[in-house]
Amino acid sequence: MLKQMLQTDWDRLANERLADPVNELEQSPYDTKLGLDMANDAKKVVAGSLNIEAFHKKYHSSLLGEFGNLFTQEPVKSDGSSSLKWGMVIDLQKCVGCDSCTVACKAENRTPPGISYNVVLEEEIGEFPNVAKVNLPMPCMHCDNPPCVQVCPVRATFKLDNGIVTIDNDRCIGCRYCIIACPYGARSYDFGESYEEEMLSFNDVTSPEYGIERGKREDRKTPIGTVRKCNFCLHRLERGEEPACVETCIGDARFFGNLNDPNSTVSKLANSPRAFRLKSESGAGPNVIYLK
Amino acid sequence: MALHAKTTALPPIGNFSKQFKWWIGILLVLFAVGGYFIIERLVLGLDTTNLSSITPWGAWIAFYIFFVGLSAGSFLLSTLIFVFGMEQYERVGKMALFTAIVCMIVALTFVLMDLGRPDRFMNALIHWNVISILAWEIHFYLVYITLLVTELYIAMREDLVRLRTHDTWRGMIARWLTFKNSKITEETKKRDHRWMKILGTVGIPLAILGVHGGTGALFAVVGARGTWNSGLFPLIFVISAMVSGTALLLAIYVIKQKVTKKPIDQEMVISLGKMMVAFLFIDLLMQFYEYLVGVYGLEDGHLQSMAIQMGGPYSWSFWGVQMFLGAVVPIFLVFYKKTAKNMHAILIAAILVVIGIIGVRFNIVVPSQIPPVFEGRPFGDYYPTLNEWMVSIGIGAMGLLIFTIGDRLLPLEESVDTTELEG
Ligand code: SF4
Ligand code: SF4
Repeated sequence: MLKQMLQTDWDRLANERLADPVNELEQSPYDTKLGLDMANDAKKVVAGSLNIEAFHKKYHSSLLGEFGNLFTQEPVKSDGSSSLKWGMVIDLQKCVGCDSCTVACKAENRTPPGISYNVVLEEEIGEFPNVAKVNLPMPCMHCDNPPCVQVCPVRATFKLDNGIVTIDNDRCIGCRYCIIACPYGARSYDFGESYEEEMLSFNDVTSPEYGIERGKREDRKTPIGTVRKCNFCLHRLERGEEPACVETCIGDARFFGNLNDPNSTVSKLANSPRAFRLKSESGAGPNVIYLK
Repeated sequence: MALHAKTTALPPIGNFSKQFKWWIGILLVLFAVGGYFIIERLVLGLDTTNLSSITPWGAWIAFYIFFVGLSAGSFLLSTLIFVFGMEQYERVGKMALFTAIVCMIVALTFVLMDLGRPDRFMNALIHWNVISILAWEIHFYLVYITLLVTELYIAMREDLVRLRTHDTWRGMIARWLTFKNSKITEETKKRDHRWMKILGTVGIPLAILGVHGGTGALFAVVGARGTWNSGLFPLIFVISAMVSGTALLLAIYVIKQKVTKKPIDQEMVISLGKMMVAFLFIDLLMQFYEYLVGVYGLEDGHLQSMAIQMGGPYSWSFWGVQMFLGAVVPIFLVFYKKTAKNMHAILIAAILVVIGIIGVRFNIVVPSQIPPVFEGRPFGDYYPTLNEWMVSIGIGAMGLLIFTIGDRLLPLEESVDTTELEG
């Protein structure tokens, strides 16, 4: 008997589980017809017969009318720029200065001696007995107008659509102009040093940055002779993980998310009265925001 | 070492003075020693230097801007002759152009040494970032060198045509460089003259704005480094280029005349000396304002790097080399009655000015990179390593070799008839 069931029969059976769309939508306070139309068109988008921009264009104004302030999704821009801008918020009240982030970063990116994408600056302020210790963790700020990108003669360092400032180590000529120009000291030149003596097999992996497998770390082989810096763990973001420093932070002082989404945790924190940015007068527009 | 082969293969006739042989010998040795260190640097990378991520630019960058400055200065001096018709300096005209070319070759060699990946230097032409000053500079340098070579060729053309008939090495080079039917007529004279003027005129903005002003702008646009970040900075570069260019040509001229035992055009030397000091005064004035504005700006990083420049571990370079040797002594020598007309004294003044400008270049590049860009990060600590010095000496020797050989083989002096293969 089972063999006589056709594809459509199976589908009908499965569909019995589904709620009746009209019924279901009637129960919500919002427009039923809009919901049905959108669902239909969404199927077309999935099937590829309608493009996503047209979809957004068609519904954007009705959605705004229907949901008002609750509707926050930006329409996809046709020029290809995205509504995603990765940013980080670091709560200095929560930071205990343990340097775990620095260690996690070194382990994740296997940076050689002399290079650390993340540092924690420490300072004691005040006079005895009224003293306090200030810790300032600093990765690359992934600036809005990155001075490092302005000066690079070969366009080896550039800003991605998602806001991350990256380096193409296969193009970089190692002129170090970007190190000169970065107002935060976020960049380092790879002199080719290695931990091989302290740590066997350090050289086995060159640099896992940007998800590129380069094999053994050897003389004159990329990225040696080029400039390196924090890339917000782009390779981890691509597989849905937070940057290593954020994941590790023992005080949960670091937050990571989309600064263009007004509902994200980072956006809300970035708008809090405690928020400030380093060297905000420089015009670089850092996307690492601190809470004091 | 192709250069080596060329020199030793020169005329079999023993018409080289002992001095000349020593000179070439010493240069070859220096070049060979430098070459060893250059190879070491290429094999081991920048680990051979004392550079770090805090102080990423060092001696080689200082020498690079020094030589670009010399080149721009020499070229601008040549335009005084070829464009503005100051015939009194005619004697150094072609020499000025040739010096400008050699200095550019030396400057670019320094840049190449400084790149982390010299093998990728072509990227600067392939992937041009139009908002990067450095990218513009590289393009300007290439156009500038082409212009210099063309201009020098036209300036020498008549002499080369005349040399064609000579049965010497010079004659042979001349035959290579000119066409069989090249001739000198009133018409070609006019044409050459016009082209010299056109090229010189195009070259002036190119040298000022493109080559050396641009090199200054490369530093001036960096907002992160207070001491460089001013509009006056590129102008200071141009003026100090004029200072060093004039001084260098003055020195070359006097030394050459002395070595070849030919009469020195005293009037020209004295007037060039005065010109050099005039440029030096403008330079000092601009620097004074630069520091004055800096101090009143009260900006932390800026004050810190000025303090390091004038009172820190490099203050000997600022007060000793840049100010005392490079300014006070030469000004004194050029103006003091007893030395003002003495060729030796003016020669010493010119050499001191050139050395002073090397100090200026170091004082621009190094002290500004000692205080950290961000408060709390470590301070830099830079002093060139043996490798950096030896590579620099090697490249310098290479420049002098090219210069000496070129001077032998090309008619760089005002007229061939009086300068036939001297001893
Ligand atoms: S912090 Fe420095 S390296 Fe990072 S984007 Fe800004 S200028 Fe570039
Ligand atoms: S060092 Fe590399 S990334 Fe930095 S400016 Fe030079 S070429 Fe660009």
